[in-house]
Amino acid sequence: MCGIVGYIGRRDATPVLIQGLKRLEYRGYDSFGIATVGSAIEVYKKVGRISDGEAGAAYLAGYTGIGHTRWATHGEPSDINAHPHTDCTGRIALVHNGVIENYSELKRQLQERGHTFRSETDTEVIAHLVEERYDGDLLAAVSAVLPLLEGSYAVLAIAADTQRIVAARNASPLVLGVGDAEVFAASDMTPLLEYTERVIYLEDGDVADLTPDRYTIYHDGREVERPVELISWCVEDTRKGGFAHYMLKEIFEQPQSFYETIRAGIDDHVRQMVMEADEITLVACGTSYHTALVFKYLAEPLCNLPVRVEMGSEFKYFTPPLHGLVIAVSQSGETADTIAALKMAKARNCPTLAITNVQGSTVTRVADKTLLMRAGPEIGVAATKSYTAQLAALMQIVNARCDGAFDDVLSHAHLAIGEVLIREIREAVALCSKAEHVFFVGRGPFYPVSMEGALKMKEISYVHAEGYAAGELKHGPFALLTAETPVVAICTPGPTYSVMASNIKEMKARKAPVIALGVDGDKELAEIVDIFIPIPNTHLLVQVLTISVALQLLAYHTACALQRDVDKPRNLAKSVTVE
Amino acid sequence: MQAVILAAGEGSRLRPLTRSKPKAMLPVANRPIIEYVIDALLENGIRDIVVVVGYRKEDVIRHLNKLDAPIQVVVQERQLGTADALRAAESEITGDFLVLPGDNYINAESIARIKKERNAILVAEHPSPSNFGVVVIRNGLAREIIEKPEDAPTFTVSTGIYSFAPDVFSYLRTNEIPDALAAMIASGRRIRAIPAADWQDAIYPWDLLKLNSRMLKGIAPEIGGTVDASVVRRGTVRIGTGTTVGPNTVIYGPVTIGDNCNIGPNCVIMPDVSIGDRVEVEPFTYVADSLIMSDARIGSHSRIVSAVFGQGCILADHTTTYPSASFIEVGERVQKEEFGAVLGDGVRAAPFTTFKNCIAGNNVTIERGKTVVGLIEDGTRVM
Repeated sequence: MCGIVGYIGRRDATPVLIQGLKRLEYRGYDSFGIATVGSAIEVYKKVGRISDGEAGAAYLAGYTGIGHTRWATHGEPSDINAHPHTDCTGRIALVHNGVIENYSELKRQLQERGHTFRSETDTEVIAHLVEERYDGDLLAAVSAVLPLLEGSYAVLAIAADTQRIVAARNASPLVLGVGDAEVFAASDMTPLLEYTERVIYLEDGDVADLTPDRYTIYHDGREVERPVELISWCVEDTRKGGFAHYMLKEIFEQPQSFYETIRAGIDDHVRQMVMEADEITLVACGTSYHTALVFKYLAEPLCNLPVRVEMGSEFKYFTPPLHGLVIAVSQSGETADTIAALKMAKARNCPTLAITNVQGSTVTRVADKTLLMRAGPEIGVAATKSYTAQLAALMQIVNARCDGAFDDVLSHAHLAIGEVLIREIREAVALCSKAEHVFFVGRGPFYPVSMEGALKMKEISYVHAEGYAAGELKHGPFALLTAETPVVAICTPGPTYSVMASNIKEMKARKAPVIALGVDGDKELAEIVDIFIPIPNTHLLVQVLTISVALQLLAYHTACALQRDVDKPRNLAKSVTVE
Repeated sequence: MQAVILAAGEGSRLRPLTRSKPKAMLPVANRPIIEYVIDALLENGIRDIVVVVGYRKEDVIRHLNKLDAPIQVVVQERQLGTADALRAAESEITGDFLVLPGDNYINAESIARIKKERNAILVAEHPSPSNFGVVVIRNGLAREIIEKPEDAPTFTVSTGIYSFAPDVFSYLRTNEIPDALAAMIASGRRIRAIPAADWQDAIYPWDLLKLNSRMLKGIAPEIGGTVDASVVRRGTVRIGTGTTVGPNTVIYGPVTIGDNCNIGPNCVIMPDVSIGDRVEVEPFTYVADSLIMSDARIGSHSRIVSAVFGQGCILADHTTTYPSASFIEVGERVQKEEFGAVLGDGVRAAPFTTFKNCIAGNNVTIERGKTVVGLIEDGTRVM
């Protein structure tokens, strides 16, 4: 889950690399480093965040360079464990995103052959292996090393006496950006947006030889052509502008990203695929898992369609019997567990569909078909607009199965989302920011919405939060209710309204302060709870969205009140590309 | 030269339209007012622009981020007044600068006149000066500014556009810029009064119609989307991408229609109409002299004249807005002005509703066949 970037061309490499690493920082931010080919290989690396100003000190000469921002897997975050890593002679430097599973064995063999290791990382073995095979032809040396490596990698390597970068990918993302007499390489397209709109997505097993004016891609030793694609994202989308945090910016972009995703619709192939399914299995992790659960609660009653939701991380080792359409949901399209699960579904001859935000990402190449959500680049680590855009994509599947019954509801949903953005939640924020634990409860589709609300709360504000199905609270968690544990309850008109209202009264009887989300004008509910957050009285599908957005705002403002680093919560990275 | 645009205030006299956005962001001829101000600055080569945001700042910032020009944003936490807003920008100021309200139209020629002066105020003639700061001028110098007087001694008013040197910050003792100006005059500073070439403000919601027709004069013709071959167009017409205009529709410009709309078949769009994005106008509907914001839907057989519709209004068939004039109390003043309707965001009206000189608040719902007149509070249900 690290981010890597490489540059070769006519500009000074250092500023391009530093800027690129800032864009990739969401992938990991415990240390960073760059290396360039100057008169020799020069390396600068540092523990800490690239945006904390440390990067200002870095200036290395050279027009060819590589950079890395790290989320530690092997070895703690430190200056030494930061990438780039060099060989014994200091003539070769490389950065790596992924995990080399057989590194300890390789390391032992290398040590026996007299190599000295400086770091505890798995990456350093690659540098030493390349060193052994390097005789002036970096491409040949790297190509010879790759078969020895087991695991996942996206690697960029440079050598002291040659103006070229050798890039290789296997199960970790890597894209090339093609400019005018310059070539870029990066973990995703965000660092490239400022310089070029032409990108090449490398395939697993590809090795690319990059020089300022050309790139050559090899697969199994043979030169291959990969299509150059145009990217639709623009660099403005990756700027924070005047917003205090990316997360807030992205929360406020939701009316637009939801609408764009709905308007893009679903193409005929995808439509046919979902119409033919007699059973759907969704595989996802984290926030995407919650959207998948919402889909289950909507699709089963509304379209009478059996839906199963599996966690990507469990799927690989505890694979359920598979039948029917398998849908992988992943914002980045690079979530390792979800991709592994998708590959297994494919191996079992199930039709597969990917729902992702990133065109050209790995998941789109594994799945038979892709339904692209139009959220634009999401930089904040906590998923917000990608969550609602995923729901937009999934709700379109529900709509397709219901012969367009919700066309009108979905095409106007962005207005209700916009309305929620200006609702007042100050009192609820004050209450949550004083609490040590917060419970989120709801029924039906609002159960996963509560889970998502709790996830947002804990991941950015570090306030312990749990989401429960309201009826389950009495089976245990009730013991934890006190006057100091606020409960956020979702209670909207429908079959569960009265039972939810009596649940709330039970909680009140245990003196727990209750924050209720209900619809405009629900005076009865407002009277029995401590804090009432009204949302527009709309269709169930839209309520799911508006309440989710209200809970995002609650988590965001609580985190701000507690002065947390909202965009880069501790220990987390945006796309989890390791198991 | 730098410029500070003040866009933090709500513009409460324009309620209900300012619920989700400040006045500076209200669309006129399908562009927020602040964009015209920024354009006028850019045309004068002023690219170092600071915008002070406050009320509903997210909406403003999102929009500014989409513009080509790099714009610095500073936040005024509480909306205390213009001088307080200017103080929020103090740390960004490095030399002589202009101050402009983000919610008034100003043309490039006016900016060209004032940017040459140091310590100056841009003034204009206005038929109802009592809504503004009235400027008393002698020998080309401002002598006195009287805020919103009952009886104005002259028709010359302040446009709220100033040229200052950085030392103005030492005069900002209260929360309003005119007080600072008075202090500067009192201390012997010469403040030149420069007449504006073209300036227009919208104080009350119905003023937006005048501003709209003024701004529509400047639109460039462009036809995106799908326009049926039988559509009759005359004058300047702008139609956005993804918009469909159905057969036998007649459009007489100046008219601007945004993206992804659905108009017609058989509609009539007369001059001075702005229609936002994703608007649906159903068959046999007539629209003239109106400002329709995004996501509105106007049912078939409607007649919409002299109306301002907020975002997401859903009006069923046979809706009529009937221009007339009656007394309406807005912001502690009683006004009489002829217009059809001003609807806030999300107003819903059942079939056969007639709006007659009506200001309906946000999310008002009107049941079938009603004639509604005068001021209706937010969220009201008219039965």
